[in-house]
Amino acid sequence: MLPKGPAKKVTIYLNEDSRYHLEPAWRAVVNFLRQKQVAGATVLRPSMGFGTHQMIHTLDTEGSMEHMPIRIEFVETGVRVDELLPTLYDMVTDGLIEVQDTSIIKSVVQGRQPQPVRPHEDIRGKAKLIRIYLGEADKFHGEPLYEAIVKRLRMMDVAGATVYRGILGYGAKRETHKKSLLQFSHDLPIMISVVEREERLPQILDTIESMMQDGLIVLSDVEVRRLVHRNPLEEEAKNAGTPAG
Amino acid sequence: MPEPQPAKYLRLHVGEDERWNGKPLYEAVVEKCRELEISGVSVFRGVEGFGESAEMHQSHLITRDRPILISIVETEENLARLLPEIEGILDTAMMAISDVQMIRICKSTLPH
Repeated sequence: MLPKGPAKKVTIYLNEDSRYHLEPAWRAVVNFLRQKQVAGATVLRPSMGFGTHQMIHTLDTEGSMEHMPIRIEFVETGVRVDELLPTLYDMVTDGLIEVQDTSIIKSVVQGRQPQPVRPHEDIRGKAKLIRIYLGEADKFHGEPLYEAIVKRLRMMDVAGATVYRGILGYGAKRETHKKSLLQFSHDLPIMISVVEREERLPQILDTIESMMQDGLIVLSDVEVRRLVHRNPLEEEAKNAGTPAG
Repeated sequence: MPEPQPAKYLRLHVGEDERWNGKPLYEAVVEKCRELEISGVSVFRGVEGFGESAEMHQSHLITRDRPILISIVETEENLARLLPEIEGILDTAMMAISDVQMIRICKSTLPH
């Protein structure tokens, strides 16, 4: 699975009937990528196209089906792409190879066997507690601001966030937020609390600050003790020295 | 990253059914804060808890004595101004003050 962050996207344009040794070139490329354990590759068969010969190849005109274009796409880390390119360069004798900078936002694998419950691990250390105060009625591009902030923090892989709704309060706008039977208010105070390592603070604060109009962010030093299920990859690295639990 | 300023964080724990001059105590505290121009107050209601009297604060069929948390973030001077005033209206309560860093975000112009 690819890590989030910068990556390279490689697009290869080929003729369907170009050959590499005994097999079609596009199939040779896909087999090579698989053999190299590239995270994934997609072969697309466009419905029309032309190349350097300026000849239109399309499924409609009879007799010219053999020169149909084929496009292969894959995304990998920069290091892996550098490692693969010399071979691809050799394999593509008639066509085009293009590399683009891209960034991976989400890369997940579904449908795997559920992992057995692992022993708990106790993580201790210094951290920062971030409390964000805002109003329930505050919006960010049409959606509730507190929801938008939590979603964004989740995308950033922040360890966790909890949203609390108050029953009374006032803040930057100096209006009392109150919920009573006669006067129903939707603008009650909201507090979001987040605990994270100090080095992630600038990134988190910049993001939250850019989304908020009015409000307050409060930071404090805390000691954390986190009970988490051990990461399977870390466990493999540690090797089978611990008794099975 | 916006530059944080040093501030004090006050947490005040009271019971939901505690009253002062006929109104809920937490409302009285919020009103006092407004009177003293404290920049902001938030009141949160807990689900369950216990305090000094070791009685459980929880929701019953008739009474709803749940724990209430009043939180205030202010500069040290403003908090010093507020504390004696609040102490005057509290009977029993727990106050906790901690040092924090705060970032005030105020991008929209206030309506007049």
